Amino acid sequence: MKFRMENKSFFLKSAIILFAFLFSNSIAYAEIVMPQDPPRLVNDFAGIFEPEKVVELEDSLVRFAKRTSNQITIVTVTSLDGMDKAQYAYEIGEKWGVGSKKLNNGIVILIKPKNDTNGEVFIATGYGLEGALPDAACNTIIENEMVPEFKNKDYYAGLTRALDVIMPIAAKEYTFEEYEDDDFMAGLLTIIIIIVIVIILSAIFSKGESDNGKNSGTIGGGGFFIGGGLGRSSGSSGFGGGSGGFGGFGGGSFGGGGAGGSW
Amino acid sequence: MKKTGIVLIIIGVIVLGMIIWIKGMYNGMVDKQEEVESAWSQVENVYQRRADLIPNLVATVKGYATHEQETLTGVVNARAKATQITVDPKNITEESLAKYQAAQGELSQALGKLLAITENYPDLKANQNFSQLQAQLEGTENRITVERQKFNAVAKIYNTEIRQFPSNIFAGMFGFERKGYFEANAGANEAPKVEF
Repeated sequence: MKFRMENKSFFLKSAIILFAFLFSNSIAYAEIVMPQDPPRLVNDFAGIFEPEKVVELEDSLVRFAKRTSNQITIVTVTSLDGMDKAQYAYEIGEKWGVGSKKLNNGIVILIKPKNDTNGEVFIATGYGLEGALPDAACNTIIENEMVPEFKNKDYYAGLTRALDVIMPIAAKEYTFEEYEDDDFMAGLLTIIIIIVIVIILSAIFSKGESDNGKNSGTIGGGGFFIGGGLGRSSGSSGFGGGSGGFGGFGGGSFGGGGAGGSW
Repeated sequence: MKKTGIVLIIIGVIVLGMIIWIKGMYNGMVDKQEEVESAWSQVENVYQRRADLIPNLVATVKGYATHEQETLTGVVNARAKATQITVDPKNITEESLAKYQAAQGELSQALGKLLAITENYPDLKANQNFSQLQAQLEGTENRITVERQKFNAVAKIYNTEIRQFPSNIFAGMFGFERKGYFEANAGANEAPKVEF
């Protein structure tokens, strides 16, 4: 009799514990936005980008994901529902599973535009990218590239400027130290200038040569340049046509890495 | 003769079935216990990460805030105390966890005080090194929040499992004990907010 009684209260207790667990779980995660169906890397829920810019961004992020396996997702919301921006961005990363399960190489860029309340931005990095993009790096990128543009309400410019820094670092093309190092940037600029000078010089040189020779040479040269340009642009639009090939989020995990800013 | 043979076979089958059943249950509990232990090591990692940032932070602040010796000493002492208290991952009880959390909470409060006084030193706030340290510290606090949540989640699963019938019978027998949780303590783990 005693045993039965204990058992009964035991079942009741464990049922309550289990219920409380499930319930508290659903409360904790009910507040963040849900991914789109089918999932997309650019989720402009706040509507701060032009529709064609969204397509462009999605294209470049999908291409980046295919090339490097790093998944960068952009989420914009009109309100954080009283949550801390770090927690909000972390939960998107963890619940959506941004990045691959094996490499945990996801990045969540959360933007809450300035409306009645302050504008907020957070870059959350998955476990696997914490080394490449330390918190201090995310902080510098936000302060230097994003916030100045966001203050002028140019969200697209701020975001693309940040992505121009984040993408090569995430792809391990250069390190954050090199981004910070002015000498490196100066070196890069010098190389670009040299290339431009070489192109100009070779154009002048070929023009001089064709002046000595036949006139049709110049036209041919020009034709070649135009042809080259066309070929390139059609190539990239070909890539664009292939969008929607984003295979969904990979189940990556986040540990609270990243940094935020507000304006 | 024949009868006893059949009975023996039936008993053998039942015993074998029970062994397989208990083995499955036992291994399930071991797996969940391991998850709790690995979640715990993540918690310790992030707290250690914070402790590692402090000497650098104190040194940087010292250079600017010369009149804040008391606050700085408070942080150094709280750090020394917090790093001394460790929890055996095999024995994460309510008490040991509460002790650990209290020591870390004291360090959080001391750090909060330190960050609050830095508001009075514009030169320090403008220092590149300091702002980087601050970003790292904020990131570490976020990580602490996340790893504590993750620890609580797996500890909950484990605790529910060992208290559920019938695994509770064997949990007691094999010495699977209830793990403690992190309590959400008011104010202790909140970074001071800067209002504009």
